[in-house]
Amino acid sequence: MLLDLHTHSVKSDDGRAKVENYCKWIRKKALPLDGFVLTEHRQFDSESDYRDLEDQYGLVILKASEVESDFGHVLVFGVNEDLEAAIDFTDVRLPIGDVLEASNKAGAFAAPCHPGRKRVGLFSHYEQRGEVDGVHTVEVLNGGSIPGEDELSVQMASKYNYKGFGGSDSHVVSRIGLCATNFPDQKINDIGDLVSALEGGNFEAISLREPSSN
Amino acid sequence: MTKILRFDEVELGDDLPAETPDVSMERVTNFCRSAKHVFERFIDHEAAKKEGFPAAIVPGIMSQGLLAAMIHRWAPNSSIQTIDTVFRGSLLVDSNITMTGAVTDIDEADMTVELDLAITAEDGRTGVIGTAKLQFSA
Repeated sequence: MLLDLHTHSVKSDDGRAKVENYCKWIRKKALPLDGFVLTEHRQFDSESDYRDLEDQYGLVILKASEVESDFGHVLVFGVNEDLEAAIDFTDVRLPIGDVLEASNKAGAFAAPCHPGRKRVGLFSHYEQRGEVDGVHTVEVLNGGSIPGEDELSVQMASKYNYKGFGGSDSHVVSRIGLCATNFPDQKINDIGDLVSALEGGNFEAISLREPSSN
Repeated sequence: MTKILRFDEVELGDDLPAETPDVSMERVTNFCRSAKHVFERFIDHEAAKKEGFPAAIVPGIMSQGLLAAMIHRWAPNSSIQTIDTVFRGSLLVDSNITMTGAVTDIDEADMTVELDLAITAEDGRTGVIGTAKLQFSA
């Protein structure tokens, strides 16, 4: 299955994409995606129900979060009540160790995103502050990266032996699917399946960007 | 004679022709004076650097105006109902920037079209994203 693991909708303060328009775009452009994960900033959207859209467009639509830590932004898959009680999703300086530990305890899967980006990326902090214990997976391909950022992510992930996944980080409809994650020979229908698949480690980051663009 | 885009010719997924607007110091300064929006960070590279910017920056209202102009060049027979921009990073004066747009939704009954908009900075970073809703006339 090919999933875009990093997207934002109008639920995020800087997101301008309607979820149904993502679905329409994927089908109109015949993108090879089987689905996408909404990773809204500093919150978990427990209210929205996208099952009708899943059925209408034949796509898997899952919900997760992008939280902000003292080592940059972190995607958290498998958010549940235990995790929401353990950390303040609105805090923009969450200690990364707390995010990783609380996610682990709650059965969720936490992984830093755009780690090669200045200031909001994990690796920009490594030079000054050293490696973070408990990181095992990072987003090595991000659709919003400028030249050099993903290259740094890949290089550093290799150095630290981290697994790598991909996501578009789309905030508008037309950016969805620029990067994604392939889970070969696996069926992912819900967030539990996704967490299991990420924990299993059998996945790879994929770029669907046109060769002439970044 | 320039062909005017009709509503029934617009399709979901269409790209607007990309444009590279002139954001030279002369052009930006003229804009700022016309708009009575004169701040040193827009019209003086050295002053902008003292404020922590890498160089003078293009005013947000100018970016939005450039996007609106791009829309009207593409679809002169439309009116912009809403245009909503998010400023994600600085666009520098005297740099090469690129504006793009794409059709993301069409309402046949209302004859409205929704667009994605973006302005990309010279280094590839997205400086502005946004959306617009256009009303076409019959």
